[in-house]
Amino acid sequence: MTEMQPSPHPEKFIVPIGPQHPALKEPGHFEFTVDGEIVTGASIRLGYVHRGIEKATEGQNWVQNLYLLERICGICSHIHALAYCLGVEKLANVTVPPRAQAIRILFAELERIHSHLLWLGVSAHEAGFDTLFMYSWRDRETVMELLEKLSGNRVNYSANLLGGVKFDVDQEQSDAIRKGLDFLEERTHHYMKVITTDETFLGRTRNVGILTNAQAEALGAVGPTARASGVPRDLRVESPYAAYDQYPVKLVLDHRGDLEAKFVVRINELLESYRLIREILETLPAGDLTVRVPRRLPEGEAISRVEAPRGELFYFLKSNGSDKPERIKVRTPSICNFSTIAAVVIGQNLADVPMILAGIDPCFSCNDRAVTIRRSTAQDEAWSWEDLRRYGNEYYR
Amino acid sequence: MNTVFPILALLIFPSGLFVLAGGLVYEWADRKLIAQLQNRIGPRWFQPLADFVKLLAKEEIIPDGVNPGLFIGLPIVALAAALTASLYVPMAGLAPAFSFQGDLVVTLYLLSMMTICIGLAGANTNDRFSLVGATRALTQLFSYEAPFLLALLGPAILAGTWNIGQINAYSQTHLWMIVVQPVGFVVALVGLMGKLELPPFDAPEAETEIVSGALTEYSGRGLALFRIGRDVELLAGLTLISAFYLGGLSNPIFFVLKTGVLLLVTAGLQSLFARLRIDQTVGLWWRIGALLALAQLLVLIVLKTLGVSL
Repeated sequence: MTEMQPSPHPEKFIVPIGPQHPALKEPGHFEFTVDGEIVTGASIRLGYVHRGIEKATEGQNWVQNLYLLERICGICSHIHALAYCLGVEKLANVTVPPRAQAIRILFAELERIHSHLLWLGVSAHEAGFDTLFMYSWRDRETVMELLEKLSGNRVNYSANLLGGVKFDVDQEQSDAIRKGLDFLEERTHHYMKVITTDETFLGRTRNVGILTNAQAEALGAVGPTARASGVPRDLRVESPYAAYDQYPVKLVLDHRGDLEAKFVVRINELLESYRLIREILETLPAGDLTVRVPRRLPEGEAISRVEAPRGELFYFLKSNGSDKPERIKVRTPSICNFSTIAAVVIGQNLADVPMILAGIDPCFSCNDRAVTIRRSTAQDEAWSWEDLRRYGNEYYR
Repeated sequence: MNTVFPILALLIFPSGLFVLAGGLVYEWADRKLIAQLQNRIGPRWFQPLADFVKLLAKEEIIPDGVNPGLFIGLPIVALAAALTASLYVPMAGLAPAFSFQGDLVVTLYLLSMMTICIGLAGANTNDRFSLVGATRALTQLFSYEAPFLLALLGPAILAGTWNIGQINAYSQTHLWMIVVQPVGFVVALVGLMGKLELPPFDAPEAETEIVSGALTEYSGRGLALFRIGRDVELLAGLTLISAFYLGGLSNPIFFVLKTGVLLLVTAGLQSLFARLRIDQTVGLWWRIGALLALAQLLVLIVLKTLGVSL
């Protein structure tokens, strides 16, 4: 649970959004104090989908955890597995073959396409622009089908292995990808035109919810949210992992920081991903797909950082020399971006709040790490792991 | 005969069953058209009826803190007003069931009852989404109502009568008024969309912001009545605009064709735009809509005084 600001005074007019609300596809609770249509205060409360995955990893071995961690997020499943694999490979001190690394970032970029198109649709829906929503989700099917063609799965591709990848890319598949990308590229140019020229849509995005460069820096925003405010923060460029040193990425930046900039940045990133995927397909290095990783990892700690569609994803792994991890800590990008909402919404129209919320592409279930119990009578109390366990044991006794 | 006819007119045709069924058909056509424009399949033909019957069969929950009389009564008043309004328009291309000099003004007020009822219904509940929705619904009422009225006054002034039936007869024998007063036509059509809270004027019930707006607390029968009332109003509004601007309605075939074309245009407009914020809606109406309608009305009055025949 994260309380970005103390709850506003109870006598004010508060519009609650969530935990169950049509604007939110996942549970989170936001309280907006409004004066007429203008928001004067905001408080954010997360923690409704805490699943205890970090703790669960400690009871399983390194290989099993790969499949568990992939399920932290339904949209960026590949990037979680990739971050974990990179960390494990660092601990085991193995070098993954270049072909496997290239296929890994191929999957990562396809996943970015699918995530950004999904976001485009959701954001358009928040603005009441359902036509764009329907069309962008229709086009998203193209990339979902490509991922299915490559891996057999639409969501949890399960392409990573410790020490390599599971799937190769053959000629027929790469032809299909090129064909799909041609279609998507044409559509993406069209969407770019729509979001930068449609008057009613611009009325909802231009100069709305401006996150200044200084705010983005101070609040530690990551990913497209930061890049739309002119913060040059992209791990693919700053510290290339996997095969990004062979396939350099052009940093997409915008300095306006408003919602329109967030749209423009993400759509330009789509175009950059198309270019990158074509380049990878052209120059896919030959060679093995996997290298052996020992069952027991040597004692030590490793950090791995990757650029998920929403921003920097951070993994900390600690091994005690056995076949199970001592501790795995995940920090997902959405948690870094939530505080920007509380900073930006003050003074905005209530009508723009759902769009500002969607603007950071929030992913709730990846965030939730701890639980705060809130009772109407007593003070809020944060429960530790021990308290939670005791409560759980007593509850089912 | 004198007592049977009004009862038939109220219960079967043109009000009553006929407009209820017609409203459902037009709602279906509207949904289907938008779905097709958005590359979706859309509902089956009986879906609006199925929704209506299902809602009627459901429990109506009266929340705490409301005035139960108002809560139950408002949907009935809203539907009754819409049904009454349909008595005065040339429904199905036939002469209006009732008419008197000045029924245009009465009809316009009856058509506004729906929004007022929705606003009151929202203000009656304690729910925060309802309150915001009610405020928005009433704000929107004040923004589109005057331009809409002005847009329908144009044909009345040309025809020199306040009687809907006579205006209808006038437009059948003269040049289509959409040609003479294009601005009035656009303002009237967009005003109707604002009245019915169709996208992009659906800020009062923007689901991503305030759930269902003023009707958030409504379920079951009340919601069903409000929804079908809106369908009836859609039908009555389309009839009125096509009778005034599209060369009048002289028979059922013209009625279906002309209102169908209007519905197609509104469906296109609904799927073209992103939702307007309530301040944008008000700005649009008062800065552009009202001024244009007023300017056109002045031109008409001047031309009429000068004796130019249109």
